[in-house]
Parts: sequence; C-alpha cells; structure tokens
Amino acid sequence: MSLGEQTSSMTGNPLLSVQGLGKAFGALRVIQDISFDVREGEVLGILGPNGAGKTTLFNLISGDLATNTGEVCLSGERLTNEPPYIRCRRGIGRTYQIPKPYGGMTTFENLLVTAMFGAKLDEDAAHRSCAAILRECGLADKANRRAGSLTLLDRKRLELARALAGDPKLLLLDEIAGGLTDQESGELVDLIRRIRDRGITVLWIEHVLHALLAVADRIIVLNFGQKIADGHPQAVITDPDVRRIYMGIEA
Amino acid sequence: MSLSVIVLTALVAMPWWADSGWIRWAVELSCYIAIAQMWNLLAGYAGLVSVGQQAFIGAAGYALFILCQKFGVNPFLAVPLALIVPALLSVPTYLLLYRLDGPYFAIGTWVVAEAVRLLTTNLDYVNAGAGLTLRVMAQYRLHEREIAMTMLSGILLLVTVGGSYWLLRSRHGLALTAMRDNPVSAGSQGVNVSRLRFFVFVAAAVGTGFAGAIYYMAQLRITPASGYDPKWASISIFIVMIGGIGSIEGAIIGGLIYFFPDRFFSQYGASYMVVLGCLTLFMAIYARGGIWGLVASRFDAPWFPVGRRLALPAAGERKPS
Repeated sequence: MSLGEQTSSMTGNPLLSVQGLGKAFGALRVIQDISFDVREGEVLGILGPNGAGKTTLFNLISGDLATNTGEVCLSGERLTNEPPYIRCRRGIGRTYQIPKPYGGMTTFENLLVTAMFGAKLDEDAAHRSCAAILRECGLADKANRRAGSLTLLDRKRLELARALAGDPKLLLLDEIAGGLTDQESGELVDLIRRIRDRGITVLWIEHVLHALLAVADRIIVLNFGQKIADGHPQAVITDPDVRRIYMGIEA
Repeated sequence: MSLSVIVLTALVAMPWWADSGWIRWAVELSCYIAIAQMWNLLAGYAGLVSVGQQAFIGAAGYALFILCQKFGVNPFLAVPLALIVPALLSVPTYLLLYRLDGPYFAIGTWVVAEAVRLLTTNLDYVNAGAGLTLRVMAQYRLHEREIAMTMLSGILLLVTVGGSYWLLRSRHGLALTAMRDNPVSAGSQGVNVSRLRFFVFVAAAVGTGFAGAIYYMAQLRITPASGYDPKWASISIFIVMIGGIGSIEGAIIGGLIYFFPDRFFSQYGASYMVVLGCLTLFMAIYARGGIWGLVASRFDAPWFPVGRRLALPAAGERKPS
C-alpha cells in the first residue's frame, strides 16, 4: 500500500531520515528494508501487531541495537555507527516499553543523569531544568522517592520525564500510554501536544489508538518487519490491509 | 564523616597506643577493606565482575620487592612507584577483555591472573616460584616500620574508601550509580558507559595494587602462590556480597565481618571456608543487597551520603544530602 502522497504535503525539513534499515537475528529478519523520513515538529505514530518489529526499529534508531543494513541520519548527520550515548547527545531521547529506571536512585537523580550527560548541562542548570520537567510531568511530589518504589504508571511518567531531561530534538515513545485510564491518557496526549508545540519531533509506538490518533500527524504501520502503510492517520486506519492485519477486521 | 576522621587518626596513631599484634591486624584489615572497596567499584557499579584482581595485587607486590631489592629504592617511596605496574597491566587486560560479557569477562580476568602468576613463576629474575624477601626492611627498627605501615594504611583507606566517596559524589559518580542500576538505560541517556568502565577498571587495579603492595610489605615476603592467590577474589566477593554490593558502607561492614571471624576460625580450614561459602549463598538468595541493603531499606542514614535531593516544595533549588 502506498499512502506516501499524503505525506508529501507536510511542511518542514526532515529531522530523522531512515533509509533501507535492516536487522536480522540469525535467520529471523526482524526489520526489512524500512525507509521513512520524519519532519521537524511532526508526531509520527507507529502501529503494528506484536512482533512486527516496532521496538526493534526504535532500538536501531537509538543505537541500542546495531543495524545490519541501512542508514540513520538526524538533521542530515549520519548516526548509523554511533553508540547510544552519542545519539542521545545529538538529540535522540527515548523511553522504554518496559520502564528501565535507575531503581536505587531518586526520581530526581534519574533525570539529572540525562540532563548532565545527555544535554550536557552543568549541575545547577540541570537542577533547574529537571525540577521544571518533574513539575510538568506530575512527578514533583515524588522527586526524592527511590525510582524503584514508584508504581508502574509513575515509572512510565518517569521514562518520559527522563527522556525530556536530555533536551531532545526527537523523542521516541514506546507504548507510553499502555495501562493508563482514559483520563490519564488524555493528560498524556495534552502533554505530548505541549512537547510537540515546543518544537520537539515525536515518534510514538502505541496500541492505544484513540490516544495516538488524537495527536499523530502521520502513521506508519509495520508487519513482519516491513512497512505496509504510511500516511494520514484516517487514511491508514481505514485501509483494508491495515484493518485486516492490525485490527483483524476483514473488508 | 567525623567517625571516619577519628578512625583514620586512631589508625595512624596506633604505634603509640597499640601493640604490634593489633597493628598487624589493622594493616591487614585496611588491605581487605581497600581490596573489597575496589572490587565493589568494579562489580557493584561498573558491572565488571572480576575474579582476577589478584593479578594486580601480585604485580604491585612484586614491583615493590623488585624496586627495593634490585634497585635499592627506599621501600616507602617504592610503594607509589610500584603502582605504575598494575596501572600498566590493567590497560592491555581491559582491552583484551572488555568485549566479553558477564561470566566470560570473569573467566577472562581469572585467566589473565593465572597467566601472570605462571609468568612470574618462570622468571628467574624474581627468584621464580621461591619468591622474594624484603630484606631492606631490616634496616628500620620495629617502631619505625609500624609508623610507616600505619601511615601507609591510613593513606590506603583515604585513597580507596575516600576516593570512592569523592568519585561517587562527583558528576561521574552520578553516571556510575546509573550504570550500577541499569547500564543499558544509562547508555541511551548520554552516559559513555565504555569509557567509565575503562576508567573504573584502571582505578580499581591501582587501588587493589596499592593494598597488595602494603600487604606484602607487612608480610616481608612474596611468592607467586601467595601474591596471585585466587583466594583474594574469594575474599573480595565474600566481603562485598555479605556487606552489601553497590555501596561504600557494604565493603566496610563486610570487611569487618570477614576479618574478625577469620582470625579466630580460619584454623578449621575447609570447614570454615564451607561456612563462608554457605553464608555468601544465603545472602545472595535472601538478601541480595547484603547487610547494608537491609539497613538502608529501613533507615535512610547513610554513612557516606552520595545522593542528590531536590528541595521541596521550592522546586528548582537544591540541597545536597
């Protein structure tokens, strides 16, 4: 399926460019020749059934996994062979589907690490920045609590807050709305809108469709490691192939 | 902190208030705590589980003996000079092993330590397997030696325990603590995990070598079998696992717990080692944070506070803890 025409109308320069990306674990080809651009200020949603390769795609973009083929460029700069910490410093912030907090450190310290090493702020500036982000993400009252003692929802908030502490140009959100109530996912959508309005580009893997559709400018769909759709959200979710593969609805 | 100053002062003043037996114990205990503290930095923070730190203990010990016996260097000046050897040895060791993960890295460190031991055993220059004796120490009176040994032990604790505290309070300590809790996450948040691991490996080799040089200076004799004895790895693991991995306090508590029973029960040989092994296993299964982990989960009163807190509710201000 090709819905690429609809994306060509988007304005702005490509911030992230992924070209011919491929990854295999032994004989299993998890990502196959995936290419797409993400424009500055865009919110791009990624859909796909479990095992489609969505998180692997994130790991290839963030550098947690090495690519077998293809290129990853940010603002025209080739990052394909750079380690994760360099990609973070260049402006790629990420969250993990299964939160990976520093459990023995406080919530505040979790953010400080990213602010001081990712955004390269000095300690005083990092303190101010982290305090503001904690307030924005609703974690200020838990700033001095050990991250390991937080509830799952707070850990997800912490993932987002920590990624923001790195002052990212591109934010990779991996199923951040999973397990949230309608009200909480509404608050999350508002937060992501505010993040987008600050000029941060967002790449968002999500199964909570109503949350994703509320904010996404464009959606791509993966299946068995291949991109099967790319276009305007409404066009993508009404596409017969997507409905059959992702939602199990026959046309 | 004030307790640390009192302990260090008491240690350095021991030649004027304690007998020789107590001084020998204090020097040995300082060495155990220092070696365990360095292993704690390696395994507890950097995630580098080494069972070959004896390579650096033996290398520094031999370097000290060679400098004194072969080159006539003053033994107390030779201690800092001897630390160049473990530092130099640690660089190729790390470059050889850093791609290995977990148990493979551990086995690799053991192989390196055994290789260095075999090399030393076959070197006629260092008297091969028969080892070396530090005869130059005979020129000093017992009291002079005791003053020097307690001073060196004080410096050793200052460098290893105090150095760990200073490191963990620094910005790099923040990154190390993040690495301790989740190295994958730390890497994706801007921390150069590989570089920090290299730095910690070299620093731990130097700190461990420092303890080794002092320990064998006190023993006045070194052989390949004693200097490169794998028991050093077992002792480090026991102390840190029992005391509490990933904390400065844990290595001190574990050092005390290991040292005093060892004085009284080591005569039981293998049975004693079985009891120590079972105790380590028990802690690994039921209290992975060790004794300090159990204490810290109930009381927020660290001996060496390294955390950073956000002053609430006036967010934006900071108050070091």
